[in-house]
Amino acid sequence: MRPEALVAAALALLLAGLVRADAREHAAHFAHPNATVDPPLLFEPPAPGSYELPPISWVEDHMLVAEDGGPAPLPGLGSAQVGVVSFIYRGCGDASGCPLALAVLRRLDRELAKWPELAAQVRLATVSFDPEHDTPERMSELRELMQPRGDWRFLTAASERALRPVMQDFGQDAVRLATAEGEPSALLRHVLKVFLVDGTGAVRNVYSAGFLDWRILLNDIRTVQAAR
Amino acid sequence: MRAALSLGLLTLTLAVPSVWADETCQSPYLPKITGQEDYIYVWTLGIEGLGDGSDKLVTVGVNPERAGYGRVISSVSLDGRDEAHHGGFTDDRRFLWLGGLDRSRIYIFDVASDPARPRLARTIDDFVEKTGGAVGPHTFYALPGRMLITALSNSKDRGGRTAIVEYSNQGEHIRTIWMPEGAEYGYDVRVNANLNRMLTSSFTGHENYMRNLAELLGDAEAMKRFGNTMVLWDYHARKPLQTFQVPGAPLEIRWALQPRHYYAFTTTALTSKLWGVFRKEDGSFEAVELADIGDPAKVPLPVDISLSADDRFLFVDSFMDGMVRVFDVSNPREPKLHYERKIGEQVNMVSQSWDGKRLYFTSSLLANWDGTGHEDEQFLRVFHWDEKKLTPAFELDFRAEKLGRPHIMRFGQQAFYAGLVSPAAGE
Repeated sequence: MRPEALVAAALALLLAGLVRADAREHAAHFAHPNATVDPPLLFEPPAPGSYELPPISWVEDHMLVAEDGGPAPLPGLGSAQVGVVSFIYRGCGDASGCPLALAVLRRLDRELAKWPELAAQVRLATVSFDPEHDTPERMSELRELMQPRGDWRFLTAASERALRPVMQDFGQDAVRLATAEGEPSALLRHVLKVFLVDGTGAVRNVYSAGFLDWRILLNDIRTVQAAR
Repeated sequence: MRAALSLGLLTLTLAVPSVWADETCQSPYLPKITGQEDYIYVWTLGIEGLGDGSDKLVTVGVNPERAGYGRVISSVSLDGRDEAHHGGFTDDRRFLWLGGLDRSRIYIFDVASDPARPRLARTIDDFVEKTGGAVGPHTFYALPGRMLITALSNSKDRGGRTAIVEYSNQGEHIRTIWMPEGAEYGYDVRVNANLNRMLTSSFTGHENYMRNLAELLGDAEAMKRFGNTMVLWDYHARKPLQTFQVPGAPLEIRWALQPRHYYAFTTTALTSKLWGVFRKEDGSFEAVELADIGDPAKVPLPVDISLSADDRFLFVDSFMDGMVRVFDVSNPREPKLHYERKIGEQVNMVSQSWDGKRLYFTSSLLANWDGTGHEDEQFLRVFHWDEKKLTPAFELDFRAEKLGRPHIMRFGQQAFYAGLVSPAAGE
């Protein structure tokens, strides 16, 4: 299934929104199978370097599981690098949630490919918070779907327990929902968050639905790098 | 007292230079609870000699299908009185941050571990020092990973010059941004992320809001020190773009909630006007005076406002006459008075459920501004709304319960925090 079709399928499963309708429209635009242009922004993003992104918090390196089953650090950045970390799960049916995050990172990956010098300093990481279902093989499939052109890692964890300190460190919530019979379902309720992390482990911005756009991410990456 | 206040404020009016199931008016970054709310968390200011006399967070049962409906479920008292005022949830809704306007403390309650019985998890008591002199933390507005806070005053002269402040969800200070020249006062802050715009409003400083109202009214110079401005910001850059002259202390701000509704409302406390801030064709904004709220000559003192999720009804509480006036704002540039009702001798805060069916009102404005004698009713009153009229559901007398002066309300729900919930529950 092509990524656009994946996102479109997720849209069909759109649950009651956790975000305002504007954000869902934004997500729907990304999800349109024939979408060839970026969704219109209603504002001119401030120019890179014209604003500040002071550290919000700090995260440590955590050892997770790569697509090949081997160990992989998160964020694991070099001192000159910037990381974009997105927590998702593949069963997510909210188009303004995980599919939006994947679509935005994919678009960012494509744009970064036009700037090799900058791209060499940027790592994208998509991390599943549903390690029970999102095995390394499933994350490898996701790589195949996304076809990254730059340094984009698809990570999972050995278990939910192993993932817990990572979630706590980043401040990412996820709660498993139940079936009508009260049994654990495949669905997780979560707040969409994408984190911009610099090489010191400082979180320089956190994005959620309604303000998650590759143009803003790219400007923020440039802003962080310009201030180094 | 009321007559003196009216006269004083009328004098001030003339002296002013010509210059979201869930609650609807929360941060767009806040996940909404769906369906019936179970609890209302009421941030309550202590009254000397009443009960333990301390500020407290009171949890009231509001789900008619659950035990404890219409009653106090739990109450957590703090150390003395700190002019309990406003508060808001973090972006994951796990913690409720509550501010004290007098001692400038921030009380962080864990509401996730046991939503029926919030627990004080942390107190920030160095807000003034960490922020470089901001005083009176007022609005608490969730942003991803952090809390945006407006202050009302400063430690240098206790006047109205103030700042907006950011803290991480972990409770660490991130930055302080002082209000711009010509618009130094602060009150509320609200973000429209889709427009990358942020609006702030303006009130008055610690020297005024902590004073006895009768004394304040007799001090003509002090009465000039109220805010008359709103500021439009580039939200992402946190930089001011436009300053609007909105005379008479513009207080609460509400952005429209529907797509392609690019406007916000506010009301002015001292001049009793409804204002709109509208996006123009060129992307800039204009502030427009829209309507009187009651009879401005009688100074009804509009305070809190609440916008329905469909952007159709704006509920406006006015403190002095205890009224709620519901404006039909379907045409936002031509609001029409749709309904009005007296809620009590005095009324301040109003919150409504996302489905627009339940309205919650509390009575207290500020300890030294509330009425006296029989006018000093202290209550939580709950109503049903059918788009035509308000019908009482229940009320709680905060004096009889020996609780204090109820102020801001926030919604809670057991299922929201449960480890396992049915996807269908409450949808």
